[in-house]
Amino acid sequence: MFLALKEIKKEKFRSGLIIVMIVLISYLIFILTSLALGLARENTDAINSWGVEKMTLSSTANVDLRQSFLTSKQTGTLTKNEAYLGETPVVAEAKGHQQQSALFVGLKANQFIARNIKLESGHWIKHSHEVVADTSLKLKGYKLGDKFKLADDKTKFTIVGFTKNAKLNVTPVLYGQLATWRKLRGITMGPVASVVASKNSQYHNPRSGTKTYTRQQIINKLPGYQAQILTFVLMIGFLMIISLIIIAVFLYILTMQKLPNYAVLRAQGIPSKVLVSATISQSLILVASGLVIGTVLTAITGLIIPAQVPMAFDMPILTAVGLGILIMALIGSLIPVRTVLKVDPVSVIGG
Amino acid sequence: MSSFTVKNVNQIFGSGTAKVHVLHDINFEAEPGTLSLLMGPSGSGKTTLLTIIGGLRTPTSGTVTVNGVNYNQRSKRQRDALRLDEIGFVLQHYDLLPYLTVADQFTLVDKVKPKGSLSKEQLTQVLDTLGIENLLHKYPNELSSGQQQRVAIARALYPDPTIILADEPTAALDSPRVKVVGSLFKHLATDHHKAVVIVTHDPRLMAFADHLYEIRDGVLTKQPLK
Ligand SMILES: Nc1ncnc2c1ncn2[C@@H]1O[C@H](COP(=O)(O)OP(=O)(O)OP(=O)(O)O)[C@@H](O)[C@H]1O
Ligand SMILES: [Mg+2]
Repeated sequence: MFLALKEIKKEKFRSGLIIVMIVLISYLIFILTSLALGLARENTDAINSWGVEKMTLSSTANVDLRQSFLTSKQTGTLTKNEAYLGETPVVAEAKGHQQQSALFVGLKANQFIARNIKLESGHWIKHSHEVVADTSLKLKGYKLGDKFKLADDKTKFTIVGFTKNAKLNVTPVLYGQLATWRKLRGITMGPVASVVASKNSQYHNPRSGTKTYTRQQIINKLPGYQAQILTFVLMIGFLMIISLIIIAVFLYILTMQKLPNYAVLRAQGIPSKVLVSATISQSLILVASGLVIGTVLTAITGLIIPAQVPMAFDMPILTAVGLGILIMALIGSLIPVRTVLKVDPVSVIGG
Repeated sequence: MSSFTVKNVNQIFGSGTAKVHVLHDINFEAEPGTLSLLMGPSGSGKTTLLTIIGGLRTPTSGTVTVNGVNYNQRSKRQRDALRLDEIGFVLQHYDLLPYLTVADQFTLVDKVKPKGSLSKEQLTQVLDTLGIENLLHKYPNELSSGQQQRVAIARALYPDPTIILADEPTAALDSPRVKVVGSLFKHLATDHHKAVVIVTHDPRLMAFADHLYEIRDGVLTKQPLK
């Protein structure tokens, strides 16, 4: 620690350079992580807010809620652990607003999903042409009491409530009545819902023409979801490896330059562990300082970023990512440490 | 008692046709308070002998005893500790860490060896005699080579070793400076009771020596001082 701090103090420029790199990389990693998380949430927030463990869909729907239609024969009788859910894509049209794509989710007010949804303002739906909308519509200028048209339905719909985190596959959700879903779909007989959702993780529907999935299976099949997440994970992984290489290379060069001095110190009886711990703590101090600055930059970014950008700053996840970078610093110092351990005091004696 | 004793030491490098027998049955010792010069042609094995005395190299055969302790019976770690306590190396280059001030060069020793080094007063005295008492807050690159060498000597002296080993300490110095350095080493021997061994090609150092040894063809002989 002593040697590491003294060297950083003397070699301000070099240390500064390494810190700047770590700042840039850690900032990029933090931002990408927050974006990935934000995007993941915009894909899954609604599903996660329902408190659902299992969902039964039509076996022919390719795990897509919008393509699923279940008849009452297929749903069977529901217990209090199950709920109907009807989903359909819609476009909201209103004067003074751009067209707005949304997902209409029809629910039964007395079943568990509707009860799990917490309102931010307003009240729950009482009539067929009332909806509870995702708060992102507020950013688009909608207020409680605003009306708009959905699909071909002639009667206008009224926003009676707002709820947070009602996004599914990056699309805002409008909650309404299950009967309204049937109407929007133009169904007069036959299907009663898109899916039967259950909060019981053991739930299974054996009826023909149906298939039961876990929540995670449904999420993984959301269009584009896995590709997006995978892209981010890859980028973050590469950045981690780049930070590992940068730390290893810089530290190696710094250490190589000091090897003759280290050889003399070894000759003078300074134990290797002092030099090894100097190398490791140098790496950790530089990376930790870079991380701190990177964190501050990320926090500032979080404060000034527009609400439309899907960024979610999650402390446990960012801490884990920061720890990951620190581990890279540790691994990156292993190669220089190896050279330090192999230094031969005899090599500097003689002339 | 001798500070160190080298007994029947042989050093052979390589094997087969590349085999070189560098040191032949070397016997060598030094008393505290004496300055010994080790001279000889290039490649005769002077540095090799110095590294063997310093415990940096284990000879092919023979024993080295430092203040009664035989290196062969010590682990690598114990040899490190023995070097730290008993042996001060003064080399030509790289003695000082470039990113430590003169004061911190001593602090580093304190970190590794909390007890048994020179007291503050003793260090001040050493710095005074070396004329470097005002350089404590300077970095090595802010010092002249002569000043650096004096700091290196103070650094080697600081853990209060009983033996000082120097390899060609005057190689890069002009005549007046050789005199200064020579008298410094002499002073370490007489006033600080160290056993000082200097490997050198420099006949100007003979004026300060108590003993002169020559290695030729791997054989060590004691020579009269002119
Ligand atoms: N690690 C080694 N492997 C093989 N041969 C070596 C090794 N170290 C030294 N030698 C050989 O041992 C001999 C003595 O080397 P040493 O460095 O001790 O000489 P020296 O007396 O210090 O010479 P100089 O005055 O030039 O410094 C040389 O012939 C050298 O080539
Ligand atoms: Mg030599």
